[in-house]
Amino acid sequence: MSESLGTDTVAGSQSQGTFGAGGAGVTASPAPPRAAARRRGRARMRLEITLLSGPAIIMFLAFVIFPVAVAAYYGFYRWHGYGPATDWVGLNNYKLIFTDPAFQQVLWHNLLIVVLSLVIQGPLAIIMALLLNQKMRGRGLIRVLIFVPYVISEVIVGTGWSLMLQANGAMNDLLGHIGLGALQSDWLADPNLALWTLMAIISWKYIGFAVILMLAGLQSIPDEIYEAAAIDGASFWQMQRRITVPLLGPTIRIWAFLSIIGSLQLFDLVYIIWGQYVSGTAGTSTMAIYMVAQGRDAGNYGYGSAVAVVMFLISLVVALIYQRFVLRRDLRGAVTEGTV
Amino acid sequence: MTRKTRGATVAAIGLGIALAASACAGGSSGGSGGSGDSAGGKVTVTFWENATNGPDGLAYFQSAAKAFEAIHPNVTIQYQTIQNEDFDGKLQTALNANSAPDIFLQRGGGKMQAEVDAGQLQALNLSATDKTNVGAGALAGLSIDGQAYAVPFDTQPEGIYYSKDLFQQAGITTTPTTIDELEADVALLKKINVAPIAVGAKDAWPAAHWYYNFAVRECSQATLASTAKSLQFSDACWTKAGDDLAAFLKVSPFQNGFLTTAAQQGAGSSAGMLANHKAAMELMGSWDPGVISSLTPNQKPLPDLGWFPFPAVTGGQGDPSAIMGGSDSYSLSKNAPKEALEFLEFLVTKDQQVAYAKAFQSIPVNQAAQSGITESYNVSALQAANKATYSVLYLDTQFGQNVGNAMNTAVVNMMAGKGNAAGIVSASNAAAAKG
Repeated sequence: MSESLGTDTVAGSQSQGTFGAGGAGVTASPAPPRAAARRRGRARMRLEITLLSGPAIIMFLAFVIFPVAVAAYYGFYRWHGYGPATDWVGLNNYKLIFTDPAFQQVLWHNLLIVVLSLVIQGPLAIIMALLLNQKMRGRGLIRVLIFVPYVISEVIVGTGWSLMLQANGAMNDLLGHIGLGALQSDWLADPNLALWTLMAIISWKYIGFAVILMLAGLQSIPDEIYEAAAIDGASFWQMQRRITVPLLGPTIRIWAFLSIIGSLQLFDLVYIIWGQYVSGTAGTSTMAIYMVAQGRDAGNYGYGSAVAVVMFLISLVVALIYQRFVLRRDLRGAVTEGTV
Repeated sequence: MTRKTRGATVAAIGLGIALAASACAGGSSGGSGGSGDSAGGKVTVTFWENATNGPDGLAYFQSAAKAFEAIHPNVTIQYQTIQNEDFDGKLQTALNANSAPDIFLQRGGGKMQAEVDAGQLQALNLSATDKTNVGAGALAGLSIDGQAYAVPFDTQPEGIYYSKDLFQQAGITTTPTTIDELEADVALLKKINVAPIAVGAKDAWPAAHWYYNFAVRECSQATLASTAKSLQFSDACWTKAGDDLAAFLKVSPFQNGFLTTAAQQGAGSSAGMLANHKAAMELMGSWDPGVISSLTPNQKPLPDLGWFPFPAVTGGQGDPSAIMGGSDSYSLSKNAPKEALEFLEFLVTKDQQVAYAKAFQSIPVNQAAQSGITESYNVSALQAANKATYSVLYLDTQFGQNVGNAMNTAVVNMMAGKGNAAGIVSASNAAAAKG
């Protein structure tokens, strides 16, 4: 690989555009020695950047950008997944998506899941992090217990919960044994309950991640501030409200961002627990479920690709708006402006 | 981005594209594509099956392969078992990647038509002996314009499997022949605290088969045939079948939580409930005994398993003896070597068929092997199949993946109380617009 790039003796060779359109002010006259050395350093830096970031960029291209481009291509065709796509339908797939009541339904479910995830997990995670930030016995164990669900694979979590929450599963059995038989219900299939069941499982699984983030955020708040506040006579709650939460702001905003994007893409848990057929009636289907059901299972790969593009655009727009308006202050200074 | 890093990025991207392109180019030779050239050299034939009945089926296939390899020393048969619900997706991926198995399970109907249209299947050049072994009727269902594209191994008349012990406990003496009698039996079974009928609605198709069987009773043979071509569900019988199912649901015949019950996976599945005497009946094709025996506590066949055909519906246009069903058939992908066809031909010979039927507890397609059937449920099913004036392929298979899938989903919606018979029809029409 390195042979093809040549060694770092590119310097001085007036390589106009050796590396594409980045030749920063290469002069045509013989350069003075100092400039040559600087150029040599610069070329070498480019080479190192290329070598070090190359593999990651290749991966990103092959597994993110390329599939996105392919999906965009197939989205314009009626294609059943065999052989090359020939049946060009233009924007017809997109027209069908936006007029399909089933898609409007899954979009609504997705929005609910986004909002509920933020509302349920956010406050809980902050409270847990505040508690776990205190010195107490068994703190390490509690931290581990909260974090473990996040580490377990979604498939295992989904299978486990789905077995426990069946109508004749362990949860109803337990309720019957402890005298709460009145609470027994069809946790998964009852349309009034299913979404809350899903939210409970999501919260249980992902709150560990939020708590760890918040804890890290709390660690970064200097103790001196609290000491100063204590001298000024602030109570514990005043300190949390006026110091901790505001200074946690960047952490909370980043966590919310990750949570929103994750909720928009939610697929695995729902697919494992409900399957693509029942999730619609239970009210837990998401855009990704719709995509798989309409694409792979119905054999309409072109239509499914168009759904994938719609999902991508929705996530992209949300991400851009969020970065522009919510993360603007946090990102200031994090993005280096080219000041050479 | 700084000016000085831009050049580096462009270079890296260029490098990336070059590498990705070369990786893609190198990747397509992998997989198990047909080895095509098989003139006397070593040949490996890859074979995908869905092993619905656990280890017994695979054990049979392994022994059949051994017997075949003994006659053809240059051939190796390589099996891959894929869970039924994952099978179609995996197969499609393999076909697209040009790494299709040589022999694979074929469900027939619209799916087979799509594969033929895409030039993925080998037209089978069957000898007169093969045709005698398989039977003309079975082959006709797997032919397009008179050309066979798959070889069936068994016949699968669909009907209701039931536990004789539970029927006896509930005081049911004869199997029901009408829906009214079935509803009466449901009431009796509830009294002994078992689920009268198990259904795996999580996978959708087992639930939809209730609707399809009502449709086979309500719609005339001509309507079924014309609808399969037009995919327009305008005949009133389609709505009527939905109304019949809605009326049947009113007696709550299915187990609690049937919407989230899988069909074949684990003791909690519908087949598992029958295997563990938690449910008395299940509507299924003839692979069910095999699935059930893999889920009984001792993994042995359920000794008291019986079978009766789907009951008659009063006033229906369809013949009350008509049976919906299919077969486990196998197709060859376009590049499969000739040894693959020879192996299929070998599998439908009499002795192999007897062993197959024993392992899969099913009805072999080769009539010479049918005399060996002893299980009472298969005897009943075979009688019903021989008595049927006509038989119909599973409708979701017949209608093709797109419409079949939409119908299955719509039936589940209706069973969940979220739709009606008209919704099934409109969902099918909407799917036809997307396909």
